[in-house]
Amino acid sequence: MVETKIGGCLPNRTGLFNYYWQRIRRNKLALAGLAFIVFLIALAVIGPFVTSDPMAVNFDEKEIPPISFTSQQSTYNIQTDQLTTKDIHGTWEHPLGTDSKGSDMLAMLIAGARISLLVGLIATGIAIILGTIIGVVSAYLGGWADNILMRFTDIMMTFPFFLLLVLIVFIFGPSLAFIVLVIGLTGWTGTARMIRSESLSLRTREFVVAAKALGATDNRVVFRHLIPNVASLIIIMATLSIPGVILAEAALSFIGLGDPTVPSWGVILESGRHTLATSWWVAVEPGIMLFLTVLAFNFLGDGLRDAFDPRSNL
Amino acid sequence: MGKSWLRDYIIKRLIYAVIIALGILTITFILLRVGPSSPADKYLANIAARGGDPAQVQTAIEARYGLDKPIYVQYFNYMGNLLRGDWGWSFSTSMPVTELIKTHWIYSFQLILLSSLFAAILGMLIGIYSAVKQYTKADYAFTFLSFIGISVPTFWLGIMLILVFSVKLGIFKVYYDTTLPLFSIDNLKALVLPVITLGTGMLAGYVRYTRSAMLDNLKKAFVTTARAKGLPERTVIGKHVFRNALLPLVTIIMFDLGSIVFGGAYLTEYIFGIPGLGQISFNAVFANDYPVVVAVTLISTFVILLVNLATDISYTYLDPRIRYG
Amino acid sequence: MKKFGFILALVLILVTLITGCTGGGIKQEGASVKGDFIDGDSGGDAETLNWILAADATSFGYAGHTVDSLATYDNQLNIQLRCLAKDIEVSPDGLIYPVTIRDDLKWSDGSQVTAEDYVYTLKNLMFSDWLNYPYKGEWQEQVDGNTVFVTPEVVNATTFTVTRQTVYSEFVYTIYDLIPYPKYISTQYEGNVEAFTQAPEFNNLSYTGNLGPYKFKEWSRNDRFVVERNPDYYLGKDIGAPYFNQYIIKLFGDSATRQAALEAGDITSTGIEPAEVNRFKSMPDVKVYTIPSPAYWLLAYNERANGWQGLKDKKVRQALSMTINKQTISQAIMLGFAEPAYSFIPATSPWYTEEGVAKYGVGDLYDAGKAAELLLEAGYAVRGNDGKIKAANKDGSPVRLILATNTGSKPTQDTVFSIRKDLSQLGIETEIKLVPWNTLIGQYMMNKVPGSNQQPGNNNGPEAVSQERWDFILLGFSTDLLAPSGSNVFFTTKGGLNFLGYSNTQVDDLFQRVRSKEALDKGVRQQLYAEISRVLSDEQPVDFLIFNRANVGFQKNVMGIEPGVSMGYNYYKWYFEPVK
Repeated sequence: MVETKIGGCLPNRTGLFNYYWQRIRRNKLALAGLAFIVFLIALAVIGPFVTSDPMAVNFDEKEIPPISFTSQQSTYNIQTDQLTTKDIHGTWEHPLGTDSKGSDMLAMLIAGARISLLVGLIATGIAIILGTIIGVVSAYLGGWADNILMRFTDIMMTFPFFLLLVLIVFIFGPSLAFIVLVIGLTGWTGTARMIRSESLSLRTREFVVAAKALGATDNRVVFRHLIPNVASLIIIMATLSIPGVILAEAALSFIGLGDPTVPSWGVILESGRHTLATSWWVAVEPGIMLFLTVLAFNFLGDGLRDAFDPRSNL
Repeated sequence: MGKSWLRDYIIKRLIYAVIIALGILTITFILLRVGPSSPADKYLANIAARGGDPAQVQTAIEARYGLDKPIYVQYFNYMGNLLRGDWGWSFSTSMPVTELIKTHWIYSFQLILLSSLFAAILGMLIGIYSAVKQYTKADYAFTFLSFIGISVPTFWLGIMLILVFSVKLGIFKVYYDTTLPLFSIDNLKALVLPVITLGTGMLAGYVRYTRSAMLDNLKKAFVTTARAKGLPERTVIGKHVFRNALLPLVTIIMFDLGSIVFGGAYLTEYIFGIPGLGQISFNAVFANDYPVVVAVTLISTFVILLVNLATDISYTYLDPRIRYG
Repeated sequence: MKKFGFILALVLILVTLITGCTGGGIKQEGASVKGDFIDGDSGGDAETLNWILAADATSFGYAGHTVDSLATYDNQLNIQLRCLAKDIEVSPDGLIYPVTIRDDLKWSDGSQVTAEDYVYTLKNLMFSDWLNYPYKGEWQEQVDGNTVFVTPEVVNATTFTVTRQTVYSEFVYTIYDLIPYPKYISTQYEGNVEAFTQAPEFNNLSYTGNLGPYKFKEWSRNDRFVVERNPDYYLGKDIGAPYFNQYIIKLFGDSATRQAALEAGDITSTGIEPAEVNRFKSMPDVKVYTIPSPAYWLLAYNERANGWQGLKDKKVRQALSMTINKQTISQAIMLGFAEPAYSFIPATSPWYTEEGVAKYGVGDLYDAGKAAELLLEAGYAVRGNDGKIKAANKDGSPVRLILATNTGSKPTQDTVFSIRKDLSQLGIETEIKLVPWNTLIGQYMMNKVPGSNQQPGNNNGPEAVSQERWDFILLGFSTDLLAPSGSNVFFTTKGGLNFLGYSNTQVDDLFQRVRSKEALDKGVRQQLYAEISRVLSDEQPVDFLIFNRANVGFQKNVMGIEPGVSMGYNYYKWYFEPVK
């Protein structure tokens, strides 16, 4: 049995959840995306306990290629002015190879998964919360408050996002916590806009008028009625923002403004980028991980959008 | 069809644009000037190594570029000069900012123009085809591919393309050769990889938007009417459905034009070594060269604002029902 | 930014700054093939061609193609005259330097370059307040506690003297590097630093006349710097040199692209990274030279108040240096293109010595066990129940130290991880800080006395500390082969770059003597340098890590190259061999 949404009241929770779950289930791609994300989370949580220390260095094992590949390394002897070359084969000990310090790629990618997920969740969290509050408050208060907030949003939106990011991180230093904060504080504009227009349309709906007639305070209306109704929108925006955030952090690392002491995928990619011709795996592997993660979130987000949209018939 | 309200609207928007631009400039200026780093930084180690006094040199360099005056004085000087057309002197490249921009903007422009054309044209064609042939294998394939297109990180795609096509296969050059004349085949060839890199993300987006916009319109009443009138399918799709789908599409294209300019384009320029505005602004940021950074921000801001305005105005012609208060 | 690639480029550019002169005007055989020599670089663009304002070596390098200095040196470190008519012989008291320039040097307007121009450049430009020449310190001396400038004076059209009040035995090398600005143009901008900065003549190098092998043609920022052949070059016109139509410096974003460009034949020369040397050496159209370089890495130990107490004890520093494996760095990280260093003086310098110099980090003196014992002796370790010695503070707390270096160079970044691993053998936990270059300078190296209003500087006295806590800093530096005493900036108590806070009166005394009158005698100077190396290797104020080798690749058809430390000295005589 499926319960439908009635007005603005919070309906029976499990019924609602089941209803949406049914709709999502029919989208195979979205399910695949969800499965991958769950896998990634599991990897991030359990991984560090089963793999070797990603920060462990061993220069005897530097730049080993992934399993089934072979590469060559030459060392120079100053006295004889000769180069000695030896072949290096991939081994199961380091199935994905090692980087220039001998750190295991698999361990680093797993550690990177944890970092990228955290960055994605926290920065998106900050952006969404900020955007939602501004959007709802702006819509609800209206008048000059709305005007000022929206003009401020316009300014932030018109600012070239990436340049702003680069500017701030360069000036104040590339620590991971700070980068996360900055991405969150600069990425709220889209959410604010969307939430505001949705709130504006809700504001005039009957249930809000009814609530106010019953004597509900502004606070109550906002928190108990408006926000839950934009909840689905928030979830979709969040899911679709996470990949952008993860890519923003990776892009910053790529141009050298990342935090080099944490093995995020962007940092690993950057470290391998200059030796693409000789140790390509150091740049290719984190890139694949980034790509798959972004793909998964996009599948999921798209699926959620279709599921939550009452007009689309699944 | 007098659109006098349009004129008032444009004026109002222009005023807003100026206010917004002013806000952005102020923020950029403040960030660059109150940050802890200074243009003298890179001198310091060199100077001390040769026996000099870093503190004294730092003061001297800041005096040379007028950076020792109080910040509001610098701000008003700069704004005043800006209005008079003097955009300052770039200390990291020792040339006037206007000249710096004049010699580099063309590279960014050609990259963005070609990428947008590539993405828009190809995107629309695929999107229309996909919508018309909904639920066929081709449709599913294109949908899947477009997901991939928007998910691939631009910078990674760029270096992968270089690795495969330039390093391993040797088809394209590894870097962008600026000695090639702008309107030559060689130049076009040199831009193939950068355009693919920058355009892929946009392309995939356009495919999806076109497809969904077309699908939305295909269900509408006027389509049935048109078909009932006996019009050939091509006209129905091409003339009626597509024109209605055009509106949101135009929005997206314009929005992209305005926003990828400084973001994806920067990274692409950086990877392929194209000396456009993106490269200049990155280098300027790293060198604390604030006149350049502010100038480039100003340009991008105006581009975005003007593009938005143009979009909104074009709406009124594309859909006569729209009217702005 | 990219410090290591920068050092490589620095080597190439610095040596091309000083062009060479050989006697005998034999016209080169293959010089009929004129082409463009394209040099690939990824260390960043120059700042300005108005070089007197610049502090980066790249700017000097660019301008240096259009004007020669007074003299340079070849691979055997013999002085090669350029604008000098004859070598400089300092007076017996070491105070007067007579400089005689050639009489055939001309500015672009046809007027002769005279001693007046040189003296004007010194007195009115470099020594002036309004211009604030960044390196004016090289022309200053301490007299009775005051800092004063040396005294240049015109004698006649081609001779001038530089007179000092105190002796500096290696001052002649500073004079050799001197390049003049044209007086007739500079007087127009005198006093107005803004106008001077923007002066078109200086920014377009339009005054250079016959002073250099090339003339300025075009500078497209972040892209290419182009100079064209100067047929009037005073040194080359009799033999038709230079033999390239244009000399182009093409800028790339990173090392991978510029090396690929060499491979594709698009450029003539560029530096080769260690990992790619083998590949390039096996290419039929490319030749690679491996040359020694005066660039070295050091690990500075913080002896200021905000560093680990233990570092103030010589035994502790020796123990640490004994644990850090230099072979890993030179063999595994640099792939053999480096050798362990034990002093700031490179093997190619005439002042190099090995006798009596303690070689920490290799062989006998690479021993974690011995190092642990040494720590125990110094009181900074405890012996555990299992008999193992572990580092500990005097109060028993574990030792946690901070190691900082700049980002932008993979080999140095990898090295800090290796060092951390080595130190863990002693039970020391090291936290790594990888920060941008200006953060390293601004917050780790610059210091000031806490609570004071001082402007932060690299050495504000023994009480000063830096903003951030640190114990080790990994740094790349370079020694002047002919005048290594310039490194006194690190090791003397008042040294301008002594950010580590090291102080030792014996070292101060030795450095002072090696720059003084008695060191005018080369034999004495040799002994003094040997003593300095010995003392520093025992004292270990820093752990000298490695000296690098640079690899430079050329297209096979470039002739005339003499590989060595000063490879670029005769670059104006290089030519393309006709392709068979």
